[in-house]
Amino acid sequence: MRNREKDLVRDFLAGKMSRRTLLKGLGALGVGSAASGSLMGMLSTEALAQDFDWMKHKGTGIKLLLNKHPYTDAMIANLDSFKEMTGMEVTYDVFPEDVYFDKVTAALSSGSSEYDAFMTGAYMTWTYGPAGWITDLNEWINDPAKTAPNYNFEDMLPGLRASTAWDGVPGSELGGEGAKQWCIPWGFEANNLAYNRNMFEQIGAKPPTNMDELIEVAARCTNEIDGVYGIGVRGSRSWATIHPGFLSAYANFGEKDLNSDGGAMSAAMNTDGSKAFHQQWVQMIQDSGPRDWSSYTWYQVGTDIGAGTSAMIYDADILGYFFNGGDNKEAGNLGFAPFAANPAATAPTPNIWIWSLAMANASEKKDAAWYFMQWASGVEHAMFGAREMDFVNPVRQSVWDDEMFKDRIAQSYPGYIEQFTASAPGSRIYFTPQPLFFDLTTEWAASLQKMVAKEVPVDEGLDQLAESIDRQLKEAGLG
Amino acid sequence: MAESLPGRAATAVVARRKRPLSQRLLPYLLSMPALLVCIGILVPFGTAIFYSLQRFRLSQPWARKMNWGENYLNFLTDPSFWNTLKVSLVYAGTTVVLELLLGLGIALLLQRRTRLNNLISIMLLMPLMTAPALAALMWKLMTNVNFGVLSWLASLVGLEEFQWASAPSSALFTVVLVDIWVYTPFIMILLLAGLRSLPRQPFEAAELDGVPRWFVFRRITLPMLTPYIITAALFRLLDSIQQFDIIYAMTQGGPGDTLTVFQVEAYLDFFQSTNVGRSAALLMILWAITYVLSSLFIKHWLKLRERAAGGIA
Amino acid sequence: MTRQSPLERILRGIALTLVVAFFMFPILWIFLMSFQTNETILRMPPSLDFAPTLSNYKALITGKLVSNAGTLDIAFMGNLGNSVLLSVFSVAVALLLGVPAAYAFARHKFKGSEDIAFTLLSFKFAPPLLVLLPLTLYFQKIGLANTYVGLIWVYQLICLPLILWIVRGYFEDISPDIEYAHRIAGNSWWSTFRKIAIPLARPGIAAAALLAFIFAWNNFVFALVLASADKQPVTVGALAFVTASGIQYGQIAAAIMLSIAPTLALALFAQRYLVEGLSLGAVKG
Repeated sequence: MRNREKDLVRDFLAGKMSRRTLLKGLGALGVGSAASGSLMGMLSTEALAQDFDWMKHKGTGIKLLLNKHPYTDAMIANLDSFKEMTGMEVTYDVFPEDVYFDKVTAALSSGSSEYDAFMTGAYMTWTYGPAGWITDLNEWINDPAKTAPNYNFEDMLPGLRASTAWDGVPGSELGGEGAKQWCIPWGFEANNLAYNRNMFEQIGAKPPTNMDELIEVAARCTNEIDGVYGIGVRGSRSWATIHPGFLSAYANFGEKDLNSDGGAMSAAMNTDGSKAFHQQWVQMIQDSGPRDWSSYTWYQVGTDIGAGTSAMIYDADILGYFFNGGDNKEAGNLGFAPFAANPAATAPTPNIWIWSLAMANASEKKDAAWYFMQWASGVEHAMFGAREMDFVNPVRQSVWDDEMFKDRIAQSYPGYIEQFTASAPGSRIYFTPQPLFFDLTTEWAASLQKMVAKEVPVDEGLDQLAESIDRQLKEAGLG
Repeated sequence: MAESLPGRAATAVVARRKRPLSQRLLPYLLSMPALLVCIGILVPFGTAIFYSLQRFRLSQPWARKMNWGENYLNFLTDPSFWNTLKVSLVYAGTTVVLELLLGLGIALLLQRRTRLNNLISIMLLMPLMTAPALAALMWKLMTNVNFGVLSWLASLVGLEEFQWASAPSSALFTVVLVDIWVYTPFIMILLLAGLRSLPRQPFEAAELDGVPRWFVFRRITLPMLTPYIITAALFRLLDSIQQFDIIYAMTQGGPGDTLTVFQVEAYLDFFQSTNVGRSAALLMILWAITYVLSSLFIKHWLKLRERAAGGIA
Repeated sequence: MTRQSPLERILRGIALTLVVAFFMFPILWIFLMSFQTNETILRMPPSLDFAPTLSNYKALITGKLVSNAGTLDIAFMGNLGNSVLLSVFSVAVALLLGVPAAYAFARHKFKGSEDIAFTLLSFKFAPPLLVLLPLTLYFQKIGLANTYVGLIWVYQLICLPLILWIVRGYFEDISPDIEYAHRIAGNSWWSTFRKIAIPLARPGIAAAALLAFIFAWNNFVFALVLASADKQPVTVGALAFVTASGIQYGQIAAAIMLSIAPTLALALFAQRYLVEGLSLGAVKG
């Protein structure tokens, strides 16, 4: 193979040109498309293997604990290339999402060394980290002997890297000084609007740009379209109700979940601004939300928009993505829009969920586990997942810049790339890191449920909530 | 009644004669394996007691220390504990009573030994064979407001906005309904067995004497059936007050705090809040409650057996 | 009990029909659902007019599920196998331990028998969650974590008390005369037990075994906490159809049907004994 062809392919692999340009270039050099394909495969592995001993842990076996998720499937589909490259054995346990985190807690708390690496969300590391169940990964990322030179950790979006790093002190800023990298971002979800384009066309509405408009458009959809309700949001008694659209809008108004005063924390959701926002949110659900909202999880919100029962959802962008495809009734009809709830805000501030990879502290094969983790979160696999499988959202800027990926998305998911670009700068975790995260957010969700069911007025409910949270914080020595 | 006496008397006679050591040890030998296998449970049980006396959060391992009875004392002033207690007792009481009544009624309907009745009694076991967690999933689907068949049927009879498990007012009703659907067959089959094993003489005699049916039921059937009723009620009560699968699968304890029964609350305490101390203390209280209730039941059951063995009609 | 007026017969018939309708309707509905795809399931109002498909069952049995996000691997048949293995062996072990013990309690009124019996029943009081979590720690230490043996041991908590009380009740119901005669003829207690007592108690043992099987089969938390993915029973496995890209209702329905099948088969097989076997020996006569 002559050098000019190899250079072309290397530039393509490094993300410096589009596939079209590459094929044109190769064609001009007399290389046919079949030969191009095999050339690319060979060189991409070679590129990865450059300057780094991937075979260092040959023969070692590691075991992973994974959630049943499209990311897992994408990884498994590509796993053979990892095994070939490193000569390692990889076994894995997959559990359904409903019980996945319970399984992780049970496995980690027993001190078992069965699993070397596992999937997790950033919030969970606020428990796992202080409990000593996961390892600070800075040691590996910064060690050139352990990490391949083209790993390019900085390629991952800054908001994501910061949100998965915490110094372990309750109340301190994420990604700040002395923060430990508890997990590596793998795939993430920003919270924005997905809406049914046909329905909007039907009533002549445009995607709302702030909270007031959202309430208005949602009401119009509910009243003017038969058998449809305006806005789908989660409502189950869980942290997952506060985390998506709710907190994104809440943060856009500048509100916080907790105040941190030199280490002593207190509840911050009983401010006037917060009460006003809650009032709006609760009203919106009562007027234009799903009837059995309090049982709504990710699945119900998604199913409804996919089946054409709701006109909009304010939830994870990838939720709309998944339900815009497959055998859903409304497949292909959905559009995406960024959303900044605060009329006075200039940009959206989506709270994000980051599926990440963490290393078990009890593992006896940490270096080998790291090999897997850096491959899975590396450029090559991210490109594969984004281009060939539905690995959205990718965490690397280079993938978002990739022409192939962008073309694919733009074709079937109008507005998706745009909502990402508008939201990326403001996308991070807006919660205050502390070990009582789940207690607090679950109680917050329960409180919301009472408000929507009119069991308690908003103001009173928030005061009670703040009181209860302050008490719990004090009891735990955090207040 | 008469046949049992020789048997029991014979055993008593055998007991009174001096039996060789191996004979006397025999019953212990027979029951020891079972006991030994189960005794292993005392170890984690002991550990759990230990945990319940500690202030122990997995996410704050440095703050772990013994706080003796403080977890328990805190419950006294904790409104969510009283809520848990209330909901658990209401749930257990409602399900057991309703299932007993319904199960008894169905058993009475199927009392006659006909092929049809036998077939129906086996068919009716199917809900029991469905894992409660899966049954809850099924019912969640059927009561879905948007496309659930039960919601549709409800709308046909005018209950347009019935929210099943999503509204505080109807959540308890919905989970009790699922529980009844799953577990009534258990009571039914026990009581049916009881009914069919009752001796015929008292009934034949009553019929000859022209005793009204209701009287027969109250004065003859029910008393003889009581041990069965007690056994069925006991097993169901134990399961019901510890109910986890159905409620967790349907609402995770919501909406709000309407369904946070003991095991659901303890589960959330451990897995979500990683509060091991509180979780263990809560479950210890549950254990204590079940222990007391079962002791009462069993004492009553033993008394009844004594009376029956004594030959009272 | 022999005379029934026509009115009464009609009322009985109606009552029975309502009862059967209530208990069977959900099963029937899920049965129908297992032949539908999400598209037809999620329709309102629900209708019986749909084109049945075997794709759900096919997906379960072959282990491949095609959804929005590609093809997922389903381990459902493995889960089914696990459930069968765990339930069968747990009941077998419980029978081995429980039937002799039941016999001892029934026949030999020895000192402390009621107390030991109550102790064995009391193991059922321990809320599963109370012991499960410390158990994970101990199982780790003694190497029983994630083993079938460990799980079968824990499952005894479910099966043993049930078998003990039901079989004991049945033994008490059997007159000991035949056994006594057998003993007097010079046979050992073991052969008496084996040749006389057990055959006589067959209905009780069958009924107890069936109920124990059902409860073991339906268990959810034990395997979840104590074992890894390859040992999970169907109760956990069915949740795998709740994926991030949508809930596959058709497959859940098919999974439920498949999970009822083994226990139903067992019940049909043992039905002769079921009702007869549940007499609890409380009433003599």
